[in-house]
Amino acid sequence: MKTMNETQLKELEKDLDTIRDQVISDLGERDARYIRKIVRLHRSLEIGGRVLMPFGFIPPVFLAATTALGISKIIENMEIGHNVMHGQYDWMNDPSLHSQTYEWDTVCTGDSWRRTHNYEHHTYTNIIGKDRDYGYALLRLSDDDKWKPAHTLQFINYILLSVFFQWGVGLHELESERIHRREISVREKIPFLKDFFRKGGRQAFKDYVFFPLITFPVAPVVLAGNIGANLIRNLWSSTVIFCGHFTQDAETFTEEECEGESKGHWYLRQLTGSSNFTGGKWVHLLSGHLSYQVEHHVFPDLPAHRYPEISEKVQAVCKKHGIPYNTGTFAKQYSTVLKRIFGYSLPDRMRNRLLPEFRNRAVG
Amino acid sequence: MISVLEKSPTLHWLGRQLFNRDDPAAFFDPLLERINPMWVRQYTPARVKAIYNETADTKTFVLAPAGRWKGFAAGQHVNIGIDVDGVRRNRTFSLSSSPIQWRADGTVTLTIKRLPGGLVTNWMHDHLEPGAVIGLGEAFGDFRIPDPQEPALYIAGGSGITPVLSQLETMAASDYRAPVTLLYFVRTQADVIAAEKLHALASRWPAFTLKVFATSDTHPPQFLSEQHLDEVPGIAARRCYLCGPKGLMDLANDLLYRRGIGEDRIHSTFFSAPTANLDTESLGGAVHFQRSNLDVSSEGDAVLLDIAEAAKLSPRYGCRMGICHQCSCRKTSGTVINRLTGKASGPGEETIQLCVSVPSGPVSVEL
Repeated sequence: MKTMNETQLKELEKDLDTIRDQVISDLGERDARYIRKIVRLHRSLEIGGRVLMPFGFIPPVFLAATTALGISKIIENMEIGHNVMHGQYDWMNDPSLHSQTYEWDTVCTGDSWRRTHNYEHHTYTNIIGKDRDYGYALLRLSDDDKWKPAHTLQFINYILLSVFFQWGVGLHELESERIHRREISVREKIPFLKDFFRKGGRQAFKDYVFFPLITFPVAPVVLAGNIGANLIRNLWSSTVIFCGHFTQDAETFTEEECEGESKGHWYLRQLTGSSNFTGGKWVHLLSGHLSYQVEHHVFPDLPAHRYPEISEKVQAVCKKHGIPYNTGTFAKQYSTVLKRIFGYSLPDRMRNRLLPEFRNRAVG
Repeated sequence: MISVLEKSPTLHWLGRQLFNRDDPAAFFDPLLERINPMWVRQYTPARVKAIYNETADTKTFVLAPAGRWKGFAAGQHVNIGIDVDGVRRNRTFSLSSSPIQWRADGTVTLTIKRLPGGLVTNWMHDHLEPGAVIGLGEAFGDFRIPDPQEPALYIAGGSGITPVLSQLETMAASDYRAPVTLLYFVRTQADVIAAEKLHALASRWPAFTLKVFATSDTHPPQFLSEQHLDEVPGIAARRCYLCGPKGLMDLANDLLYRRGIGEDRIHSTFFSAPTANLDTESLGGAVHFQRSNLDVSSEGDAVLLDIAEAAKLSPRYGCRMGICHQCSCRKTSGTVINRLTGKASGPGEETIQLCVSVPSGPVSVEL
């Protein structure tokens, strides 16, 4: 990581705080109108998708209904749920958009997400051993994990994780790897598991039992469409999230580096540990503006639709301090993510030969 | 139609499964609001029917609440919810009309004075128009008409007249025979709220005596005194009702107490005074943790999270630096200063981050 002394870090903190303060003092009607418009879009797409789905025996209708429902879930999870739970709209004082009570349309409970994502991931971003989002304790993505033969198959794990992403996220807090290492017992996780089964059951009931059943004669069509919509959402959100921290130049950190760190150092870590991708307005909306992952990590509780507006200022701050600003097209960023997953599945020597950009310097 | 999601327990359960929220009927609100804001389920909507000027700085807002609003007793207050620049603001006001009017034509009134620097009152005066829809909570408060009838004395100041108006109208309409006296203190005669209504009451209701005192119209200014009370016949036997600025309430309480009128016969209702400008000296204050029913005091720039933990509570928290919102919590009343921005919050109910909120005066939070 780029090293900066405390004076420089203080300066960085001040520069970024200035950007934050400008947005905070300007929050108001415009932001409220934006999020309410998105909520209306979500409601319309979900209702439209659900109403059309029983007519899915006509192939183009099936396609339209599945896409509408899939996109509605994407928007609800990414632009509404994720962002609302970060407290981006708490200032509106609207109980329907409140970070601590919001419950989203996915298996993971809001409470579990607030603990594992808002607190653990956003506080300890990319600190190996503390940020369990780095590889989800499932994938080897850096040299901090020693290579084992089992890693050879991790690409299959990655595909499975993407396909069943909502279930993977839902089970994240189980910390199965720590149970496996006997650091914690399953017994400690019983309250979590109860919540998991309640919420997971609710989601499965809705999409795979209730809506197919009430449309009985066409139940298989509705079931297939609902599975399709969940699949679309799972693949897309997994892909967007992987582009946020696992691209080629996104850095990782050690616990020692970050012990007793200042706010400025926290900012530096967020800037260098995250990566953006470019795209049109719709790409940003459907990614919940996580395409501006750098801005999101620096200011997780600013309304996400503001990230495009402050991006230039953040880039200017990075330039001033000589900090790399990691961005590129979606295709470029995602291809480096795939290379990383593949590269680290190989023994280090083989990786050095095949993918020199992910070279391990400790090995010849 | 959507209200079945609230009324039928089975459908309510189903709605919770389908929409992931405890108030499933409100799932459709964002769309319904566009069609007709009176169809919203999350809060009880009320349409502004008319707005009248009472004095130069006081207006009466006539509201028609949705049919599911449960009604009120004379003298009670309500919370209203208004979106000002994207922020939902909740404030408490007394209803100034009588329940008889609500039963007759479905309307209630709020009589509201501009507070200097008051965000909501000024917004209502400047921007609220007939036809708009605002949120209206259920009525609450135990400032009630004596039942059974007994002699009563009202001491009101300024816009503190509002719950008294509601009570007087109700008493007059219900043939209240026991003597009722109102001592109404205003700055100048031009500040008398609902003057016509008060004089009409005095002329048609024999048991009622109206006395208006304009404090600043005389030299020296005349405030509530022993003499005013001496002129109220049979004062010792009267039930007393106070509503007005703090100075008047304190004075009245004191004078009545000295006359040997028991505390149980003196009823006061709140009166929202403008908050003073905040300075760094004003940090700290009495903190009330509602759910735990715990009162503690704080000094200096201690944040609510630390204060709660020092009181052996364990609120949910995360980063402790204002980032993750794990510790966000409802504040029901009082003002807090955001340690990061130095900004003061509003006085009403809203969500705050405990880890960066410093009390400024008495604060009550849901913990």
